[in-house]
Amino acid sequence: MTKFIFDLDGTITSKETLPLISNHFRLNEEIESLTKETVEGNIPFIESFIRRVYILGQLPVDEIDNLLETVELHPKVVDFISQNSDNCVIATGNLECWISKLVKKIGCKCYHSEGIIKDNKVEKLTKILKKENIVSFYKNAGEKVVFIGDGNNDMEAMRIADVAIASGLTHKPAKSVLSVSDYLVYSEEALCRLLNQLL
Amino acid sequence: MSSAKSVIISCAGIGSRLGLAQTKALLNIEGKSLIAWQLELFKDIEDIRIVVGFQAKAVIKEVLKYRKDAIFVYNHNYFETKTGASFYLGAKDANEYVIEYDGDLLVHPDDIKKCLVEEEYIAYSEKTSDEAVFVRTDEQGNVLSFSKKDGDYEWTGPACIKKSKLKYSTGNVFNQLEEHLPMKGIKIRAQDIDTYEDYQRAIDFVRGWK
Repeated sequence: MTKFIFDLDGTITSKETLPLISNHFRLNEEIESLTKETVEGNIPFIESFIRRVYILGQLPVDEIDNLLETVELHPKVVDFISQNSDNCVIATGNLECWISKLVKKIGCKCYHSEGIIKDNKVEKLTKILKKENIVSFYKNAGEKVVFIGDGNNDMEAMRIADVAIASGLTHKPAKSVLSVSDYLVYSEEALCRLLNQLL
Repeated sequence: MSSAKSVIISCAGIGSRLGLAQTKALLNIEGKSLIAWQLELFKDIEDIRIVVGFQAKAVIKEVLKYRKDAIFVYNHNYFETKTGASFYLGAKDANEYVIEYDGDLLVHPDDIKKCLVEEEYIAYSEKTSDEAVFVRTDEQGNVLSFSKKDGDYEWTGPACIKKSKLKYSTGNVFNQLEEHLPMKGIKIRAQDIDTYEDYQRAIDFVRGWK
């Protein structure tokens, strides 16, 4: 069977989720520049992620979860996932507590980072998802793995996936991603056509 | 509407014989890039796949002006491989029938319709260059063999074949087709651009369409 592993931010969503959070809570520009630098590969993902969780972890978890449930999605991509939900999974660095409602809405299995929640805040980060481990898991199970992503933190997963699709639906994919990609698409039509061909 | 065919345009090469150090896709022909002329020919085809390598960024930017729904396929080994590799990479996940179209080729708009079919064929034209690959045909125009020495017509492409018959090759497209001969032949008016003289001929060719 073919397993499609989707990055979440910018690949399924048509807006990045972290800037949305920072706008909503009127945080300073620090978080936005941090996100931008990370997507472009200028700051190591793990370092950036730890710093982001430190800042955002002080915000009410339930409010972030509600906010992200409303983030705009790519409708055709979501349709493909719902029609093939057994073949599709999400791999995101986001914390589970922030995206649980959004993931439920999209309707497929999701691998994510984890933390300990106390008093509606993130007390401690306990696991940072390495997307390449998810690719290896499904490859070892004998699946043909297709990975769809756009950011620097997708690169290792895309390097080892059987098929790597760089998505330019929301922004230009990171250069590192292009260097390991088999395909590049800039529209939902192209992406969904390709996904159906790979089924 | 979904279709059983895909068009694979191979634009990965460095175009070394032309001597312009620029991908052929961006050659200016009568005010438009070569790839723009090609995309115009395929405007009714849903599944357009552009194989990119050398100057990929510039080719992608140009294609997106005309076809946001194109699928770009990377041939990262473009320097070590030939069109056969690009065709395979473009075709391997495509629809059932794959139409191979070399990025340096212009086909007369009245003749391209004959090529956009879900049926296997090899297209050729009257001989125009000295260093071409030629085809030998039978009385019905079916292609019997390819030759670098001589033949009845010049092999220009496009060609259409079932994707299931293709194998990875670092060689040329005609090498991939050879083992499936004989195949139906289609005679077309076409001009490919390998040398600077070909480029001048391509400009005259397009002028003749108007």
